[in-house]
Amino acid sequence: MNKKKFSMNIFILTLVFLYLPLVVLIVQSFNSGKGVSWDGFSLKWYDELFNHSARLWTSFKYSILIAVTSSIISTAIGTLGAISLQWYSFKHKKYLQVISYLPLVLPDIIMGVSLLILFTSIKFKLGLFSIFLAHTTFNIPFVLFIVLSRLHDFDYSIVEAAYDLGATEKETLTKVVLPNLMPGIISGLLMSITLSLDDFVITFFVAGPGSSTLPLHIYSMIKFGVSPVINALSVILIAGTIALAMSTKKIQKYMVS
Amino acid sequence: MKKSIIFILMLLTLIGCGKKEDKDELYLFNWSDYIPDEVIIDFEDETGIKVIADYYSSNEEMYAKIKAGGDGYDITVPSTDYAEIMMKQGMLEKIDRSKISNLKELNKDIGSKISFDKDHDYVIPYSVGATGIAVNTKYVKDFDRSFDIYNRKDLKGKMTLLDDMREVMSSALTIAGHSPESSDPQDLEDAKEIILKWKENILKFDSESFGKGFSNGEYLVVHGYYENIVAHMTDEQADNMVFFIPEEGAQMYIDSMVILKGSKNIENAHKFINYIYRPEVYVKIIDYLETPSVNIGANKLRETTPVYDIKDLKDAYLMKDLGEALAPQSEVWNEILTQ
Amino acid sequence: MKNQRNGLVYSAPITLWLTLLFVAPTLIVIIYSFLKKGIYGGVEWIFSIDGYNFFKSSYFLKVVWNTVEISVVVTFLTVLIAIPVALYIATSKYKNFLLFLIIIPFWTNFLIRIYSWISLLGNNGLLNNLLIKFGLEPHQFIYNKFAVILVSIYAYLPYAILPLYSAIEKFDFAIIDAARDLGASKMKAYMKTFLPNIKPGIITATLFTFIPALGSYAIPKLVGGNDSQMLGNVIARELTITRDWPKAAAISTILTIITVIFIIVLSKYDKDHKGGKV
Repeated sequence: MNKKKFSMNIFILTLVFLYLPLVVLIVQSFNSGKGVSWDGFSLKWYDELFNHSARLWTSFKYSILIAVTSSIISTAIGTLGAISLQWYSFKHKKYLQVISYLPLVLPDIIMGVSLLILFTSIKFKLGLFSIFLAHTTFNIPFVLFIVLSRLHDFDYSIVEAAYDLGATEKETLTKVVLPNLMPGIISGLLMSITLSLDDFVITFFVAGPGSSTLPLHIYSMIKFGVSPVINALSVILIAGTIALAMSTKKIQKYMVS
Repeated sequence: MKKSIIFILMLLTLIGCGKKEDKDELYLFNWSDYIPDEVIIDFEDETGIKVIADYYSSNEEMYAKIKAGGDGYDITVPSTDYAEIMMKQGMLEKIDRSKISNLKELNKDIGSKISFDKDHDYVIPYSVGATGIAVNTKYVKDFDRSFDIYNRKDLKGKMTLLDDMREVMSSALTIAGHSPESSDPQDLEDAKEIILKWKENILKFDSESFGKGFSNGEYLVVHGYYENIVAHMTDEQADNMVFFIPEEGAQMYIDSMVILKGSKNIENAHKFINYIYRPEVYVKIIDYLETPSVNIGANKLRETTPVYDIKDLKDAYLMKDLGEALAPQSEVWNEILTQ
Repeated sequence: MKNQRNGLVYSAPITLWLTLLFVAPTLIVIIYSFLKKGIYGGVEWIFSIDGYNFFKSSYFLKVVWNTVEISVVVTFLTVLIAIPVALYIATSKYKNFLLFLIIIPFWTNFLIRIYSWISLLGNNGLLNNLLIKFGLEPHQFIYNKFAVILVSIYAYLPYAILPLYSAIEKFDFAIIDAARDLGASKMKAYMKTFLPNIKPGIITATLFTFIPALGSYAIPKLVGGNDSQMLGNVIARELTITRDWPKAAAISTILTIITVIFIIVLSKYDKDHKGGKV
């Protein structure tokens, strides 16, 4: 099948493209020197990572916490929103259609500062929660669009069939609609986690004192040299997520049940 | 099932940022890597006050955040121009000098340069230094210790200047024989001419990775701060480096500790500042940064020798707030960057 | 018949959330763009349209051009690459695993990955060292438009792959076989059945790439050069260095309006072609 081979080749090339910087990263994490040239194999950065980097782990922990919570909430809100836009009419539908893609449009530095101004003017205390709110907000349109594009070709007749057979709204939702939307929902979830883990600019402005996330921590290290400890951390993260990917089947079952 | 996960996670989030136990705390908003961890830990051990620090890498981002309402910090460390701005805007708490007895260790030569706060009611110097130029002497042998190095065609594509309007414009204006605070269109045109000539030979304007780029050989001549460059280098590489302060157009900086208005831990802030000014504590900072010392007592105890001395800074320009001149200078800078 | 009242229930969370946390800040930005700038940043509550004078600046047009040019090229190439990649994943037995595989690089920190690219593309970097080894001339791969485009494609690929995957996964490939049985060539079968059907996915992927690209500022700052100053850099400089908040807000407002128009046009195109939603 010509087409299949073509797309497979592109896929493999893309994979190489995506992983190239990572290979550099992984190799450097075992480099005993700090610079670009190889100075000999060493595990010292891993040692420093696990024994002397309390602040790094704290910011890492916060990043994960915020990424997971904001992506779950934004996926839930975005999915429901997409369903409402696709199949229902309600008074504020036009309004929702317009505001739902706006967060995509605003540059993040502007969004960061304006959110900060908003929070300050209502005397809302900055902290991890303010970061959570900001991240969920910018994640929602991404989830919305991904799920919506999936809903476009959704065969509505199975929903009608469910109703005809006497299913309640809740049953239809959980047993018919959501399982069929699952690839879209998962894409949205993955997208949100990715966006959240990496966000720097918005987080810088809305973070409370002491609520540093990983990107903030790393950015603050740049001038003085990002320690190779970060490379070690990245390797651990990659290894961890690959392990997660291996157990993907279990996760899918978990989410649908 | 899903609902309960969401609920639990939300709870965790709320807990994570809920009220901390009423500990004795101090919130520090500082330049990254500006204080050795040892100093903070010793302070915590001695006083029982927990120090929570966040970092920034430019005055502008620190100021933008605080101006837009980012409060919660007790101490921050602006450079002189921003210290002046913050003071004028009433963003600072008045310091009770009776609580900072160690202030007597302040080198008056430095202290007197803070013209807008001569009595140190708001601004307490933390560190002093200069912007300089570093040259890789393995590859570059003969050179003038001046900005003229940026006119050299043989070094084209191997040099960087700071991506910092204030730094570059001030230097260029001075070299053109004008005031660094000028807003006169002709003065700015002259400076622009000079900078555009330099720009032909530089690889890029870089304020973040000049240190790293210098140490891995990507750049042979960089414009920047000594601490950032030396942090990346091995001893061997340091032997092949010369860091000089240019004869003309040199810039110096004084970064100072200030207490922000609305600070909830003013007592602790005073304790911290006084602690930093102990000679035996401050010496750790200057041995770490390898810059000249603002603290007389610490200077006698230091183990490192700074590459340049306070005497070398006498011709250097200390940045002041530009006021109305900021807009025209920024406009010219934008033109330079996009040309 | 489905209960229309449920529409309110489903749409309430998103409407409320976005109104509070997004519409409100956007209004702040628009209001600020019509105020007078404070001498030290911030605003003074006096009406002024000075902020909108930004387009009079000589460099502004050049920056806009750079931004649009780079964004269009990046979007085109990114979506072009993303389609076969998403296709491969969606038709594979191990789709979830492959999806994770694509995403994993993006869970390592963005800055770190950029620095890896710098060490690959730099004048003293891996690529140039390889060229020298093979006796070829070293080339300027970085601090220019090329680097910005390359690294942007790298950064935005998942933004395009994910929505495309979501759309493709639903496509019934039996249609292609049916078309071929009816005599269509492979190319025609794909062009006439596959692409039109995944159009919503393509549109979403385009939006997800183009719009963030327009506002990007970290990539041009780190790997860009004199030929690749983008609008995001200008906005950031106006906000932090010049401290002209109204100007930064004005540029952002105009940017927002233009992209909204772009989105409306794009979704109209989608509707006209598809003959309306279900």
